[in-house]
Amino acid sequence: MSYITVEHLRKTFTVRKKKDRGFLAREKTTVEALKDVSFTVKQGELVGYIGPNGAGKSTTVKVLSGILTPDSGAVRIGGRVPWLERKEHVRRIGVVFGQRTQLWWDVPLLDSYDLLREIYRVPEADFRRRMNELSEALDLGSLLRTPLRQLSLGQRMRAELCGSLLHCPELLFLDEPTIGLDAVSKLALRDFLQWENREKGTTILLTTHDMEDIAALCRRVMVLGHGSKLFDGALEDLYARYRNALPVQELTVQYPNIDHVIAAMYQELGL
Amino acid sequence: MRAYWCVFRMRRRMELQYRGAALGGFICQLFFGLILIALYRALYAGKPQAVPISHISSYVWLQQAFFRMLLATDPDLADKIRTGSIAYDLCRPLHLYTYYYVRILAQKLVGSLLRAVPMLAVACLLPEGWGLASPAGASALLTSLPALFIGLLCVSALENITMAFTMRTLDPRGMQALLNMLMMVFAGNILPLTLFPDSWQPIITRLPYAQLLDAPIRLYTGDYAASAAPGILLLQSAWTVALAAAGLLFWRVNQKRMVVQGG
Repeated sequence: MSYITVEHLRKTFTVRKKKDRGFLAREKTTVEALKDVSFTVKQGELVGYIGPNGAGKSTTVKVLSGILTPDSGAVRIGGRVPWLERKEHVRRIGVVFGQRTQLWWDVPLLDSYDLLREIYRVPEADFRRRMNELSEALDLGSLLRTPLRQLSLGQRMRAELCGSLLHCPELLFLDEPTIGLDAVSKLALRDFLQWENREKGTTILLTTHDMEDIAALCRRVMVLGHGSKLFDGALEDLYARYRNALPVQELTVQYPNIDHVIAAMYQELGL
Repeated sequence: MRAYWCVFRMRRRMELQYRGAALGGFICQLFFGLILIALYRALYAGKPQAVPISHISSYVWLQQAFFRMLLATDPDLADKIRTGSIAYDLCRPLHLYTYYYVRILAQKLVGSLLRAVPMLAVACLLPEGWGLASPAGASALLTSLPALFIGLLCVSALENITMAFTMRTLDPRGMQALLNMLMMVFAGNILPLTLFPDSWQPIITRLPYAQLLDAPIRLYTGDYAASAAPGILLLQSAWTVALAAAGLLFWRVNQKRMVVQGG
């Protein structure tokens, strides 16, 4: 029994573009963000979700987290339809949108976390235990009393992650969570995600352009392009298939740079 | 429920974070209040009006004291909608309209309390005809307080409709500029509504804007007799319910057709 089932998911957006001529004329075009995407994810899996810019990754995450209603298709997560049973669904999930912020700009982090604790109704003792875990893993100890606006990009990213994990979600969507992180933080974050996945059995769907993240964390990857699923399988298989695309200097190392593989794949598929 | 309360605590923290801004705002409004009263006194010296000048000065000070209740939009909320950070609020197990309503309410309540207390204290010390006169009677005070509270609920419902518009247009400025202008004029901020022509009174006092601050101030100064209070409170409540219902509907429609752009 799979935890996430997605069948024939479709979502289109209307985009109004300026025409070549004329000041006011604009044309309406329809962009198919998701054409026909189906996949399943088992509980406790850690899946990488990759694809070039504009492939539909974030749209998928938004649909799965109950923000967007798709045009057609079926989604079930733990037996629930995200956009129909939004409140029940979102109580169990955690989301990190790497480009956006959920914490309050002017107040110390701890106060923002306190509000989240109330929103998710986390008992005081659990909250404290979790806070210790997270602030150690994400190295937040010294920042907790600082207002968000005074943090650097990387510090802010770590704080955002902490906010999304406070209520121990059983499903975690990470949309480009390593933007702006330094090497040390990135490694710490990966360790933490692995630990979270192993110890708590958290299902994680990771969207990123950082192939190192994927290589370190995910055994299974799904590749999305032009709104369709193009590859779904083990990372090694992806390597094996595009081995020819690797430059010579990468062939001798044990873990070749996966960026080459992905770039070759996108090129072959005409993306 | 407790999450909604927590929003008030957060807002208090935020307001106290910027003590300098509060002081600056206080001085600015003190200045404005004095200028306005000087203006009305000059007007009265030339041509006395039916409304006594002490009512007008009370009106001006109460308007200044609760200025933050009317003209203060939470830039964070509009920014959230503009930048798409609203996506996070959409994945919270909360009722969205209520969450935003409470945030607006908290900002207006905490903001005005912080300004109103020192402002009213200073206004009480000013001489008769310049400062805040005492209420027309015990019943005037007792009816103006619930009226003020309903006014606060009403203005929050009004502003949540602006937020719903912002979700359509993605830019709050147009709608806010329009609504703020209406608010300044018809809530009695520019000119006390009591000084508008008599033929206007039946209309302007029934508009939603008059329910925000004008109605409680008139109850306080005694322009409205205490016997008229139940009717006024009822009118205020009716507008509040109507505006909240409209906002709720607007939000629900928006949520269905919402698109959060970008990755």
